[in-house]
Amino acid sequence: MSHQYLIVFAQAHNEFRLPELSSVSELHGFTYTLADGSDPQRPFMVIHLASEEHARLLARRCILIKAIYQFYGQGSTYKELHEANRANRALWESYIPKTSFKFIVTAYNHSIPQRRQREVIESFAYMDFLGKIDMNDPEILLGCFEEYPDKHGTTRVKHEGDGSFLQVYFGKLIEEGSARQLIGQFDVKKRVYYGNTSMESEISLLMTNQTLAAPGKLIYDPFMGTGSMAYPAAYFGAFVFGSDIDGRQMRGKGKPPGIIRAAKQYGVAARILDLCTFDVTQNPWRCGELFDAIVTDPPYGVRAGAKRLGRKRELSPERRAKYLEHRKSPRPDDQPYIPPTKPYELSALAADLVILARYLLKPGGRLVFFLPTVMDDYQEVDINSMMCSGMELIANSLQDFGSWGRRLVTIRKTSTVKYPPPSFSPEEAVTSEHVPAHKDFREKYFRGFRTDAPHDNYETAGSVPHYPIHD
Amino acid sequence: MVRLITHNLLACHARGCTSNNFPLRFSDAQIETRKADFNADFIRAFMPKLEWSALVDAAKQLGDTSLPLEAPDMLDEEFLKNLHRVLLEIHIEEGSMTCPNCNHRYPISNGIPNMLLAEDEIA
Ligand SMILES: C[S@@+](CC[C@H](N)C(=O)[O-])C[C@H]1O[C@@H](n2cnc3c(N)ncnc32)[C@H](O)[C@@H]1O
Repeated sequence: MSHQYLIVFAQAHNEFRLPELSSVSELHGFTYTLADGSDPQRPFMVIHLASEEHARLLARRCILIKAIYQFYGQGSTYKELHEANRANRALWESYIPKTSFKFIVTAYNHSIPQRRQREVIESFAYMDFLGKIDMNDPEILLGCFEEYPDKHGTTRVKHEGDGSFLQVYFGKLIEEGSARQLIGQFDVKKRVYYGNTSMESEISLLMTNQTLAAPGKLIYDPFMGTGSMAYPAAYFGAFVFGSDIDGRQMRGKGKPPGIIRAAKQYGVAARILDLCTFDVTQNPWRCGELFDAIVTDPPYGVRAGAKRLGRKRELSPERRAKYLEHRKSPRPDDQPYIPPTKPYELSALAADLVILARYLLKPGGRLVFFLPTVMDDYQEVDINSMMCSGMELIANSLQDFGSWGRRLVTIRKTSTVKYPPPSFSPEEAVTSEHVPAHKDFREKYFRGFRTDAPHDNYETAGSVPHYPIHD
Repeated sequence: MVRLITHNLLACHARGCTSNNFPLRFSDAQIETRKADFNADFIRAFMPKLEWSALVDAAKQLGDTSLPLEAPDMLDEEFLKNLHRVLLEIHIEEGSMTCPNCNHRYPISNGIPNMLLAEDEIA
């Protein structure tokens, strides 16, 4: 027997809701189904679950859930709602004789005048609850939610349009969402170590939920930077391994390294397995099938170009010989050697990342990463063209910033075949005819996503748009 | 940091260095030990990934001779706890790791190994 539950969502990141529900249910080994007509774009959603315990597990782990109610009914009018609620009498009749209760009436996109709130409560009089009303510590809380259309961009006087809701929902509170408070707990501004590449905490937490992070799992971020996703992953019990081409990003100033200091702040330092400096395209992994998940925010190349070891233009044979000679002779200063780097174009990097993940993930493991893209030009095939056999796309959620956006892509390794390590050579790249919208993202970004602006001189491309971008 | 679990997964990756490039040899290792949460399932599941003799040697280099020369078939609690300690609680904070084949030296500073290759070493 399945039961229906009403989810009240936080008003953000609509496209991340279903992937998060699916991931958290998979993590706990159960499934859910959407009730007919439920639309994940809307703030209230009705789902079927096998047990109340499942509803509680979702409320404790989903970042986007504000609360979960046992669902009693809905309608486009109160008449419809009451009919549905009467039909579900079996769900609430045991509360009639003596259960203390509290009743709340609220709205989404609207505020209901006090007087009408009282009228709504009185309209439920037929339920005949005999227990006392207890505003502070009730045994059950009944919630009635009116959903109004988005009034974005229009100005309305308070209470205007009262009663013309799209839909009204009713149910009994099972549990308030307790994972949302993690957004504040992992707030970047309160972190002892962060940088200009740090990822806001809500998004880091959503990414982490896509990895199915849990005790005993091993998770890797190959573009570790300041480690934003490592903290929530370790908090959920996983061991985390991080690497970055630029050790300073992980280290910061002072001792111990910045990431370890921040991990200590969250009480998870013992689960940061290790940090290593290397170029992911020249990596020292001895074997594959190591990780349960790879979670990462690859360099978009906006502030500093995404890079890999090598030179943009090869040195002439004479200069190369001279250079190597110089390298061999012992140096008086103790400066660490900093190898030259060359740019790493985003679509090549994204395709390489999928192949690397196929090598490094255990069967069933997940790759979770952000791909920035140009809104007007994006097509589904952009993602499909970077997939390879053995890997399956399971979620693709847009965070929209206007002319550009970024997509949180979740890919599962479905194959149990042992794959060779990727070559990362542009010559052997899986080339597809298709040119994805994220190709040359850096250049497009600096052109303000216009096609008519000059290509090679950022200065003449007008002012750089102020989006919350980082690389 | 640089725990022995990590050391067991890193091979020299300089260009052309494809055999006898593992395990890397520690030198001038400064060690610290720190407690880590014990998760028997994690350790058990990781066993097949380990190069056992490399682990035994690395531990010995650092003065720990508690591991049996052969990985046992029976993984009892006591064995798993000891393996946990060796893999996760010994940290090399300073020193370096050297490739037995090409002698490339990877320095460790503040617990972070620098595995970057020089220009003439990349594939
Ligand atoms: C967008 S940032 C990641 C930010 C990170 N999530 C954080 O919380 O700070 C990308 C990182 O990739 C690193 N990077 C760029 N190219 C790389 C490469 N070829 N191999 C490894 N790391 C690289 C950069 O040094 C940078 O720290």
